[in-house]
Parts: sequence; C-alpha cells; structure tokens
Amino acid sequence: MGLIQRMVEEAGIPTISMGNAADRMARIKPPRALLVKFARGSMFGEPGNVNRQRRIILDALAALKTMTEPGTIKELPYQWNRPDPV
Amino acid sequence: MPFDLENFKAAYDRWVEESLPDYQAGKMEEIVKKYPFIVPDDIPWTPYKGEPSAQTFALVTSGGLYIKDSQPPFDTVSIHGDTSFRVIPKTVKQKDLGIAHAQYDHRLAEQDFNIIFPLQRFIELEKEKIIGRLVETNYSFSYVNDAVTLIKKTVPEFISRIKAQAIDVLFLVPV
Repeated sequence: MGLIQRMVEEAGIPTISMGNAADRMARIKPPRALLVKFARGSMFGEPGNVNRQRRIILDALAALKTMTEPGTIKELPYQWNRPDPV
Repeated sequence: MPFDLENFKAAYDRWVEESLPDYQAGKMEEIVKKYPFIVPDDIPWTPYKGEPSAQTFALVTSGGLYIKDSQPPFDTVSIHGDTSFRVIPKTVKQKDLGIAHAQYDHRLAEQDFNIIFPLQRFIELEKEKIIGRLVETNYSFSYVNDAVTLIKKTVPEFISRIKAQAIDVLFLVPV
C-alpha cells in the first residue's frame, strides 16, 4: 500500500492513508496519513460503529487541508470499545 | 526519486529463496524482518487544493476484497502474494464480498467491510454533500510481496484507471 500511495502521489493525485503502527509508517513514509490505535484488519474501529467510521473520514478530510508538509502523520484519539472523545 | 528496481530485484530473489521455508511455516515476523524494503528517502507530494464538497474521491483497500460471484479470489498461497487488484462497484453489499488474504484476521471485516473499506460511509457523505462524489468503482488489492511487478505493471495500470475517473483524492486503507 505504501508503494501504491507514493506512486499515485507522484503521478499528481493527492493521497491520504491510514496506519496503525508508527514504526512501519516511519519506514514506508506515506505523504499523508492518520495513525489509529486499532489492530490489523479494522482501521476504522469496531464493526458497525457507524459514527466512528464517519468521524475518521471527517478527520481525513480535515487533514487534507491542514497537512502541508510531506510525511505528516496525525494520531487519532479513538480507542477500541471506548466512547469517542468529545 | 525512481525506485532502484534492479538492486531490489536481486535482493528480492534472494529473499524469496531464503524465506520460503519460513513463509511456508507461517513465520511471518521472520520474513518481514528480512524483506528488502525499497522505499527511497524522499516523500512525493502533490499539494491538496479545493474543497472536499466539490471533489471526487476514490477508495482503495489492501484487505483482499473480491466479488464472490464474478471475480476470482486473490492468490493466498504464493510467497509473492498477488499483484492484481479487483474493481469493486459502489453498489456492492456485504453479502457479495469475499475476502482472500491469509495474513490478517478478517472475521471482523466479514461482519462489516466498512472497517477496512468504508464505502457506505463515503456514500452517506456524498448524499450529505460533504464530499462531491465517490467514484462508481473503487478498488481492492491483497497481500503482495512482489514489488517489481507491482511497480512496473500493476500500479501504472491502476493509476491510468483512477486518472480516467478524474479523481481528486485517493484514500488508502491498508490492513
């Protein structure tokens, strides 16, 4: 996924990705990414948590506007089976 | 900066030879540690401009999704992984999707594919005019180690497709 993101960004299309392991992301160096505290296979949290899935996409839309430096990674606060922070 | 494919290819061929027994034994941590990553130091960058409400988005996951009735599953046996991708229509339903990916636990995604491919959330945001549009067909890759084929063949094909769809932003969800 890291290679795909880099090549698409290089081809002139802005990209944003998700990740859950800071050390792996440091190696992959995505142009823009959100870091979550969820395990592999559920980057958007618990199945059926519609509001959380939506919030993470809205976070990504906001990040597109605020990230101005290549390689910016923003950590999101959400935790598994815990309510969203206000 | 271009990828140094020649050096990678030699290192990758050695890695395949050395790692095959560990791969077959399911010792994934071992083989990941030895994998000859080829990421250059620089980070590509295309500035983001405009407003999401006026833009076209596309979604891609590496979760191994495919349409059970009409598409072949990904190869989950080869150490090279599978360099192909599947085109997933926007109208897809949970029951239509299969997952072919041997390297993560997909029991949760089988309950709700939106946790690896939030298609339905993007459709809702389109209806609410928070984004302009989600493209009619989105994409899934699966587990891949063969970066040579990916870089030379698959990703250029993928880029041609998304350029033809005139997308403004690509959203990537690895697993």
